[in-house]
Amino acid sequence: MTTADASVPPPAGAVRFLGNEAAYWRLRIKGAGLLVLTLGIYRFWFATDVRCYLWSNTEIGGETLEYTGLATELLGGFLLAIAIVGPLYTAIATAALTLDTADGAIAAIGFLLLVLLGQFALYRARRYRLTRTVFRGVRFDQHGSAWRYAVYALLWWTLAVVTLGLAYPWTQASLQRFKMRHTGYGDLPGSFAGSGTELFLRGLPIWLLVVGPIVFAFVALGRMVDWSALNGMMAEDESDPLALLAANAGIEVFFVAAAALGASVVAAVLLYPLFAAITMRWWICGLRFGAVTVRSRLSTAQVYGVYLRYLLYVLPFLVAVTAVGGVLVFLSGRLIGSNRDSMLAELFAGAISLTTYVAIVLGASTIYQVVVTFAMWRLSVQTAELSGAAALDSVRASGAPDSALGEGLADALGVGGI
Amino acid sequence: MDAATPPRGPAVYFDGTSSARNDVVVEAGATDLRILSSGRPGHERLLDAWAYAELQRMSAPEGVLRLGRRGETLLARLEIGAPELAAAIEDRAAALDRGGAAERRLRRKVVVLSFAAAASLIVTAAFGLPALASRIIPFVPLAVEHKLGDAIDNNIRGALDAQHLGARFACGTAPSEMAGRAALGKLAGKLETAAALPFALHVVVVRRAEPNAIALPGGRIYVDDGLIAAAQSPDELAGVLAHEIGHVAHRDGTRTVLQTAGLSFLFGMMLGDFVGGGAVVIAARTVLKSSYSRRVEAAADAYSVDLMAKAGGDPHALGVILKRIAGGKNEGRNEGMKLLLDHPETKGRIAAIDAAAVAGTPVPLLDVADWSALKQICAPLPANATGSAPVH
Repeated sequence: MTTADASVPPPAGAVRFLGNEAAYWRLRIKGAGLLVLTLGIYRFWFATDVRCYLWSNTEIGGETLEYTGLATELLGGFLLAIAIVGPLYTAIATAALTLDTADGAIAAIGFLLLVLLGQFALYRARRYRLTRTVFRGVRFDQHGSAWRYAVYALLWWTLAVVTLGLAYPWTQASLQRFKMRHTGYGDLPGSFAGSGTELFLRGLPIWLLVVGPIVFAFVALGRMVDWSALNGMMAEDESDPLALLAANAGIEVFFVAAAALGASVVAAVLLYPLFAAITMRWWICGLRFGAVTVRSRLSTAQVYGVYLRYLLYVLPFLVAVTAVGGVLVFLSGRLIGSNRDSMLAELFAGAISLTTYVAIVLGASTIYQVVVTFAMWRLSVQTAELSGAAALDSVRASGAPDSALGEGLADALGVGGI
Repeated sequence: MDAATPPRGPAVYFDGTSSARNDVVVEAGATDLRILSSGRPGHERLLDAWAYAELQRMSAPEGVLRLGRRGETLLARLEIGAPELAAAIEDRAAALDRGGAAERRLRRKVVVLSFAAAASLIVTAAFGLPALASRIIPFVPLAVEHKLGDAIDNNIRGALDAQHLGARFACGTAPSEMAGRAALGKLAGKLETAAALPFALHVVVVRRAEPNAIALPGGRIYVDDGLIAAAQSPDELAGVLAHEIGHVAHRDGTRTVLQTAGLSFLFGMMLGDFVGGGAVVIAARTVLKSSYSRRVEAAADAYSVDLMAKAGGDPHALGVILKRIAGGKNEGRNEGMKLLLDHPETKGRIAAIDAAAVAGTPVPLLDVADWSALKQICAPLPANATGSAPVH
């Protein structure tokens, strides 16, 4: 059944994903190859193709989304961003070399500036994508000051880091509220109803298991070490503080630290899919457009399935590529044999190692994009359900397309986006 | 053509002013696409007519022809699911690029041009950047170079001092080491006089077992204890020292900063780090960086040969000690990765050094007494002075 098959209109609130993984694999593999060939310049066209595919295969109430962005717009935004970021980097480096302030101050100011610019870029990039998203002949829109968002995001993320992640749910809730409050579908205003406290309560067990061991270790170490004696020793002898610590509290401190770190890492790896499922569900259920609400039936088991499948794909891939690379290096060494110092042997081995490296990184990333990112998109779409979808039938168009500067900045600063 | 009964069929129409879904009938006329409200045949109302030339194919799921109008701010859309009707429209509207041949041609052009741009950037980075750096260096004030040297020194001293010796890291401070320090001063002084640099050198021997030396911008040179142990004559040590002085004289610290900045711009920003593809860029950067340092090292070798000849020492001595150090290091090791190492391969270096050095009758730069004093510039430390030993 196609979207234009008017005879049997699907239920108004139904959300479906029409695409298939095989087509997406082809898209991704071809794109990855062209990225290598063009040292990444192809990425603007690649990103546009990917978005077109994902958007146009996402169907809401019988109508699919449409992505109207152009690769040349992304390229233009990127070039504009280079014109801004290039001089900015140069200015920061020059200031660090010429000003007589402590190096730390310049570096800190530069870092702060770049973080702000990064958040600005992410907000503007979201605006670019939304204004290029068309549904039933009406575009989405985002307004609001990107600089205000950047300051807001910087403060909230600082709070999240300072509290070791405890404030993360409220950071997310607050930033989502800001974004959705300034988002609209035509004249239908968006909002976000997810509560930080609710996310906090759901995520607290994860936090306790991941961050808990480290906090516990610090408390335990605090009891094991005689701090005043240690301070005394440090004052006398300015050499290795770790050695002094061991001398003071015994070698056990390292076992406690290693055990805590190990427990934390294991918990983080095992619980990450749970975390991803909780945040995804919370986010989808919080989305509002006027009277339209969204529900998500995304199950935690499904998300675990996604990540397990990733391991199932990526581990054999890594083993295979490494093995092939190793065999090739060995064979080239054998072939060139006695003449070990020759330039040719070097060139060969170097080329093989570099190719192996590129194949591993690009391959693992492609597998991740298909098996995790694509699968999560599909799952999230297929488990979502709208209520009050009747409101979508009479939306008036508004808004205008935005420039791709934000996408370009996000790209140039390496904060994601494309 | 088929003017008698133009193909027609059902479609979904969005007028671009509202999201209301209109089930319509589309008629593929001779010059335009006519959008009719559905009703009894003969009673349909004409909603809009789109000329074929202004039709544009929009991205859509498989099996749906989604049409918009070129250059239109209003996002009116027409969605056609019936394959025959879609084919009929595609037949009439050349702009729709049936089969996607034009789109593929365009895309091929993009790929070819992007490839050419990438190749051009690599050539620029390999040859243009080093040439540009050489032209810029004379205009960088020496004060900046000193400042850079101080900044690097703060970081590198801690990194080199792996045993956390602190004040005892540098040799030549204890009373028993003073004779060695004087001999080092004599050797460095001879080279410094011959080099006639616009700023003072500052040579320090440090307690490190590696047979190595490092020059910082601004004239500070760290010589590892291990290098003095590996040297069998004062001229061998002087040869390495002259190589490091070459880095200082060529202002390679500033050169590295300039080249790295240029490389970061071209291969960090222009070529960006897109998802996963960053690996290609990192690989290209690694190769380019090693090509830079190979050239820089070769230039410092040539400088060493020159300076040793000027100072009256043996220019071949650098080659001799390089060979000894490389021989000790590489035995039974896999040599596959030298392309990525900073220094050119030893064999080639030694050949270049020997080719450049003119035959002469060198006089050792230090006499026997001074050389044996220099050999002892790092007196053994008392056992309890190393910080990593347990303190109880």
